[in-house]
This record gives sequence, structure tokens and C-alpha cells, in this order.
Amino acid sequence: MNIAAADPRVIIAVVVGGVLVALMVPPLWMLLQDSVTTTDAFGDVTGLTLQHFHKLVIEKRALTSLVNSLVFAAGSTVLSLLTGGALAWLVERTNAPLKVLAYLVAIISMGTPYVLHVIAWLFLLGKIGPLNDLWRQVTGETGVLFNVNSMAGMILIEGFLWSPLVFLLLGSTFRAANADMEEAARMSGASVFDTLRRISLPLAMPSLLALALFVFIRAIGGFEVPALVGMPGRIYVLTTDVYESTVTVPPDLGHAAAFSVVMVVIVAVLLAFYGRLSKNAERYHSITGKGYRPRPFDLGRGRWIAGALIVLNFVVVLLLPLLTLAWMSLLPFLRSISIAGFASLTLKNYRAVLTAPGYIGLAVNSLIVAAGAATAIMAITSLAGWIAGRNGPGGRILDQLATLSLVFPGICLGVAVMEVWLRIPLPVYGTLWIIGIAYVIRYMPFGMRYIYSGVLQLHRELEEAAGVAGAGTMTTLRRVVAPLLTPALVAGWLFIFLIANKELAIAVLLASPRSQVIAVAIFDQWVNGQGGELAAFGLIWTVLMTIIATVFFVFTRRGGVDVHGN
Amino acid sequence: MLIVRGLTKIYGDHADTRAGGVRDFSFELPPGTFFTLLGPSGCGKTTTLRCIAGLERPDAGQIRIGDATLYDSTVGTAVPLNRRGIGMVFQSYAIWPHMTVFENIAFPLRVAKDRRYNREEICALVDQSLGTVGLSGFGDRPATRLSGGQQQRVALARAIVHKPRLLLLDEPLSNLDAALREEMRIELRRLQQQIGLTTVYVTHDQAEALAMSDLIAVMDHGRVAQMDEPRAIYFRPANEFVARFIGAANLLHGTADAPTGPGDLGSVVLDDGDRIRCVFPAGGAARSAVTVSLRPESLVIGPGDCQTDAASNTLAGIVVGCSFLGGTARYDVRVKQRILRVTAPSDVTFPDGTPVHLTFALDSAVVVG
Repeated sequence: MNIAAADPRVIIAVVVGGVLVALMVPPLWMLLQDSVTTTDAFGDVTGLTLQHFHKLVIEKRALTSLVNSLVFAAGSTVLSLLTGGALAWLVERTNAPLKVLAYLVAIISMGTPYVLHVIAWLFLLGKIGPLNDLWRQVTGETGVLFNVNSMAGMILIEGFLWSPLVFLLLGSTFRAANADMEEAARMSGASVFDTLRRISLPLAMPSLLALALFVFIRAIGGFEVPALVGMPGRIYVLTTDVYESTVTVPPDLGHAAAFSVVMVVIVAVLLAFYGRLSKNAERYHSITGKGYRPRPFDLGRGRWIAGALIVLNFVVVLLLPLLTLAWMSLLPFLRSISIAGFASLTLKNYRAVLTAPGYIGLAVNSLIVAAGAATAIMAITSLAGWIAGRNGPGGRILDQLATLSLVFPGICLGVAVMEVWLRIPLPVYGTLWIIGIAYVIRYMPFGMRYIYSGVLQLHRELEEAAGVAGAGTMTTLRRVVAPLLTPALVAGWLFIFLIANKELAIAVLLASPRSQVIAVAIFDQWVNGQGGELAAFGLIWTVLMTIIATVFFVFTRRGGVDVHGN
Repeated sequence: MLIVRGLTKIYGDHADTRAGGVRDFSFELPPGTFFTLLGPSGCGKTTTLRCIAGLERPDAGQIRIGDATLYDSTVGTAVPLNRRGIGMVFQSYAIWPHMTVFENIAFPLRVAKDRRYNREEICALVDQSLGTVGLSGFGDRPATRLSGGQQQRVALARAIVHKPRLLLLDEPLSNLDAALREEMRIELRRLQQQIGLTTVYVTHDQAEALAMSDLIAVMDHGRVAQMDEPRAIYFRPANEFVARFIGAANLLHGTADAPTGPGDLGSVVLDDGDRIRCVFPAGGAARSAVTVSLRPESLVIGPGDCQTDAASNTLAGIVVGCSFLGGTARYDVRVKQRILRVTAPSDVTFPDGTPVHLTFALDSAVVVG
């Protein structure tokens, strides 16, 4: 009897591999096909062409968008790394006070839809916002001090959007760092500053670079800020170009596809670099001592400056946007913050949100799609990740398939999935199903990372012992692997659930009036000028998501997995 | 000369660890002393070391090197750790992976605040330091390409390159494999004597402590159980804890027969009726309850019909367990109700059930409390 054929893992690998191919390959194929073909009015391919790419090259706008994308991504990466990184170091490696505020920012940000944050910032920094208002009152001018619909505004807002995630990811790097390395420098006579400059920073540099590239990739694919902040100011980046050519009538899908292919190639190249950088980052991790309790730097009197910075971060990144939303939600119409405004405070918006059936349905829709997608992903990746983590049959291929969608910026994946399901004669387009499918494709890599590193932490002998005790592969999987992987499964599920409810880019092209999700609804309402109700609804939603984010955070901290499943 | 007085540092009860730390610890080390803090994990030895280093701030006490006060809780002096002029080797070595061996060792010279070293001085001092630890020619090597033993030597070279007043070693051998550990034990001691540097060494390994130290403090739950030279710790344990911790001692309970002066031989009636004579290091009153420590290797095992004499103690028993360990054999011998552990030469064997006599010199039995 052939042993390989008898191995149930081969069957699992083939089935899971089949599912992954069916999910991951068609969108990529469809983008490539659309970018090099012409189609008739029914979407049937009529011929091969390079005209879409040709148009990209000759149109000056494409180049402008590319440059804008790069500037935007680079600027926001630097800003978020500076703010989030400094905060992470202060919180994890020093005795600065009020650390809990930094975590509060991170947790609540984890639950807030990006689009809601962006809207708050738009108001804060906008024409009638308190910043420009104050400036006008002080100087007597009539214009604005700061035009938020500018590249500077985009970078500022996107940078603040990413800084909590940078804080969490770098925080775990600093926490895992061997404190002996820094103490050895101090014992050698180095001051805190010398130690930071000569030891801490160089040691963290590989992780920092890898994280910088990660944020850069995400910012290149970022959609919320370019759409809400950039487009009104006529500043286009690649993602908003794709969006525009899809939503104009008639849609220029070839153009969108060509743009998307360009972005996918850029992201793929960056991802290859990222893979190399992350490996580099692990090189320093291999030399560590035993697990010690963290021993923070004593900042002496600098403690209070550090505390002030933590408070500043709390106020700027969390408190101001939330207060702004609260202000917006309590007014019948959008107006600047003033004493007079307080007279017209009303709970009308909240009443509308809580009584109108539309909002409840919207919330239920969002929860169902996110939960369904998270469940499907964890089911697939728990098998794929286990085979990959144990170098089982086809493990490498499964891993690459499951993480293939990393090359798609959200908006491009939206275009691709839309194209795929427009051509499949199943009634999926225009329903919640298509959003769910897009989520599954998009967030599969996250599930894979959680399971994969969870499997690596399980000692192989635990499974071998079950085998020697007489258990078959399936029994071992059910009775030993699955229970031990539960922390990774739960953490991954919660993470996907949270991020799916946060991001706008994928769903924005797939949602229809009959199948709305939160982020898209907020986006539409803002565009339609219904600021009050959206703020009220957004705040209620944020409270709900913050509860889930808190569960996620406490759970991952206790289980020893960090926010990214490491 | 290192002087520590009344050092106290107590950790509160955390959910996962019980209260630890060190309480009211005082000692003085003459220059060049190799001093070992020995004890089980959580006994306060590492806390003591870290307080001297300046990595922890003591709750109370005084730490001085010569006439320089490093810490004094009464007047609020606390010299920052980077101004203490102390060399330290960490348990994990803490070799910086982003630097070469040379740069690792040169680091203390490069960041020195009290004086600037020029390029030639740095080269000379680093080379000298590398030579001392037997790694000449390794300077250009990346720190990531070193074996465990080499990392250990680099860590030591780094700790001594700026000619510190004091050297602190935190379980430096615990990450090495057994063979290398014994070699490094001898090497470390030789180096320390060659440089003549006052050294505080932390370990939980009693063999290491006995082999290397001039002075040992055995610690238990934050307090010093006994502080003495290695031979005294071994042969005259001051209490039951030390007797147990330094080698597996047999502990016998009994009652002193008559008043005995400090250091004299006295007679003890054991709980099961046997009478032995043993040393009372601290003296003892008549009828006082005592515990006697008896080392497995001081007991001589002989056939049940052998001669006994008054110059040594003799107990009769039966072999109930025997394991051959190569050079020695370990016996479990039942004497009345209790099992005594005996280490004997392995050339003669006594199978299970053999009646035997255990004889031991009068001064090898020590009252420990």
C-alpha cells in the first residue's frame, strides 16, 4: 500500500488547496485579463490590446497619481513611525507614567472604522473646524490657516490613523527585546541616551524597517484618506484613480484594471523586500536570554515629560476626534464649535439612529458578514496553517496561496472580485455574499499568520505522542492540535472581525443599497452631508467594537500572542 | 574593598510570584576576594547583585567601594549605574549582535564619561582584554558567529576592559554545557586571581561555589543562612538548610546528653535509641533537641561482623538499595526506622538485604541546630 496515498494530510491539502485556488486565483486572473483586453457592452472579451497601459503612460495624470501615492505613503509612514514608535518605547521600556492612556488609544482605535476617524479629522482641521475658526478669530482673517484637503492634510491624518497600530507592533518588539542588552550597555558606563542611540535603536532597526515597509504598503493601498481628504482637493492617488474609473458612467474597467495591475506589481515587489527584511529582523531575535520580567529605564525627572507626551498623544489621536464626533452627533446640522452651538444641542440624531430600522439592519448586516468571513477564514487556515507549519504535503504552496491576496490593495481587490462575480451566473453580485467573499480573500493572510505561528509554538512531540498512543491523523487534529490552537484561532478570528468592520476600500465597490455595511454607509452619508446621524451612529458602533477590541486585547496579552499573531 | 550594610530590597506579592528580595544583608570584602552568593532560585542572590550593580534601587542600606559611597538610603545617595565603574557579565551574556567582537568590547571605552580614549588606547586595551580571555585575533568576528563559550569570554572581556573596581557575575556558566562549564570554572577562577579583581558571583550550583570562592554566602528567602569559607560551609554547616543545600546530607534528630562547649565533641542520643558522639560547633545544653548532619561520603560501609572501636561512631543497618555510579556506589541503608544515604567506593558490593555496619569519624558528624 502506498503510504503517501494513505496519509489523510494529502487529502486535506488537496481539498484546502482547491478552495484556496478557487478563491485567490480568479481575481488576479481577471485583473490581468481586463488590463490587456477590450470588451463589448456585455463584458465579453473582444480582443487583446495594450491601450490601457498605453493610456497610463501617455496620460500625465497617471504619473502624478503615482508620485502622489509614493509621497503620501512615505510621509504617513514616517509620521506614524515617529509618533507610534516613540510612544511604544516610552510605554514598554521606561517608567513613564499614565501608560494606560496609550493602550486606551490603541484599543479604541482598533474598534473605530477608519472612515469615522477621518471624518472627525476633516471637521477638526476643516474650514469650519476649531483650528481654522480659532485662527480667524485671533487674526481677523477670513481665509484658512490650514487647508486640510492637501497633501499635508492627507499625510497628517493617515499618519495618525496608523500610529496606534505601529505602537502595538513596535511595543511587542520592545517587550520581547532582551533587557540584558540595554543593561549591559548601562553597566558599561553608557547614559540612557547613549544606550538608546548605540544599542536599542540599532537592535530594533531591522524590525523598524520591516514595520516601515509594512505601513508603507498599507498606505499605498489606503483608500479612506485619499477619498475623503484628497479627492475634494483634487489630489488623486492610485487608489482613488481606480475608484473613479470604476464609478464613473460608463465605468472604464480596463483603465481601472491597468491601474490595479500597476499597484499589484508595486506591492508585490515591496512585499518581496518585506519578506527579506522580516527575516533579517528575526536574526537579532535568535540571541536572547531567558524570559525576564521587564525592567524599564528610569527616566528620572524626564518621567513627567514622557507622561506629558503620552497625554498629548491621547488627546490628539483619541480624545479630540471622539469629542468632535460627539459634537457633530449632538447638533441638528454641522456647524463650528461655539458657545452658541451649545444652545442647540439635541439628542435628535441618537433618537433617529435608534428608532430607524435601517440602522439596526445595517449593524446586523455588518456583524453577520464580518463574523461569517472570520469563521470561514479560520476554518480554512486552521487546516492550511497546520499543514504549512508542519511542512506537510504541499505546505509551502498552501502558504503562498493563502497569502497571495496580500498583493491586492483593498480597492483593487474590490474591482477584481466585482469583475469575477459579474461574469459568474450566480446571484451573488449585489448581495452580502460578494462582500463576504471579498473579505475572505482579503483577510485570509491574517488568519494564516495567526495559525502558522500558533502551530510553530506547539511542540511537534505533542502530536507525535498522540500518534504513538494510537491516534490517527484526524483524531490527533481534533483532540490535540485544535484545543491547543484555540488561542490562535480566537485571536485570529477577533482580529479579522475587527479589521473587516474597520476598512472601507473593499466593500465600497461591492455594496449595493440592499447590502450595505457600516464603513460604506458612513462614507455615503458623509458624501451626502448627513454628518449628524452618521456621527451618532458611528459613536454607538465604536462603543460596541471597543468592547470586542478589549476582549481581543486582553485575550492576546494573556495568551502571549501579539496583535499580529507572532 | 566592597562594603555592604543592611541591604534590604523587598518585592511585593505579585499574582504569579511570592514576595522575594533580600533583607538586612551586610558583608565586607577585602580587595581581590572571590565572593559567591549561593542559594536556590528566589533566595535574593540576584537581587543583591543587581542592587550592587545599580540595576535595582534598594529599599534601605549602604553600598560602598573603598571610600566611594554608591548607595546610602540614610542620606539619599544613589550613584547612577553607568557611573559606578563596575563590570558585569550577564546570564545571557548580552553580546550585542549588531557589533563585531571588537566593538562589543570597546563599547565601555567609547562611552566612558570620565576620560576620552584615543584610537590607539582603545585598540591596545581591547587587544589586551581579548588576550586575557584567550580570544586574541577574534576582534573582527561578527558577534553573531560565536559559540556559547566564546560569547561568555567576550562578555567577560567587555566587563574587564575598562578596569572596573568590581566585577559582578550573574550565573555566567549556567548556559554552558557540562564539560565546558567545568573548564570555564577553572578558567574564570584563574583569570580572577590573575587580575586580582574583587568579584561577586551569583550561582545556584554548589559545586561551582565551592570550587571557585574565597567566601560564600548561602542565602535562603532573602536572608543569609551562613557566610564562611568553602571548607567551613561544607564541613561545618551552620544549620539544616545549609547542610541540605550543600550536598545531600543525612539529618538525624536526637537529644544532647550533657552540656557541651562550642567546638567540643559531645554525645547525642538519637530518637531511635542509638548513641553517637559528634561536634557541637556552637555548643549545646543538656537535654536540648539537636539535629546532626552526616555526609554520605563520611560514612564507611562494612560487613555486619566488622570490628567497632571507640574512636569512631558505628551504626548497624541493612542495605535496602544500591546503585552503581562508576567510580562510586550509592547505598540506601536502613538503620532502625530511618534510611541513610551512603556514598562508598564501588569495588566491593553489598547486595540488598546485607546486614552492614556504618562507621564514621567523630568529627564528621556535626550538630547543625
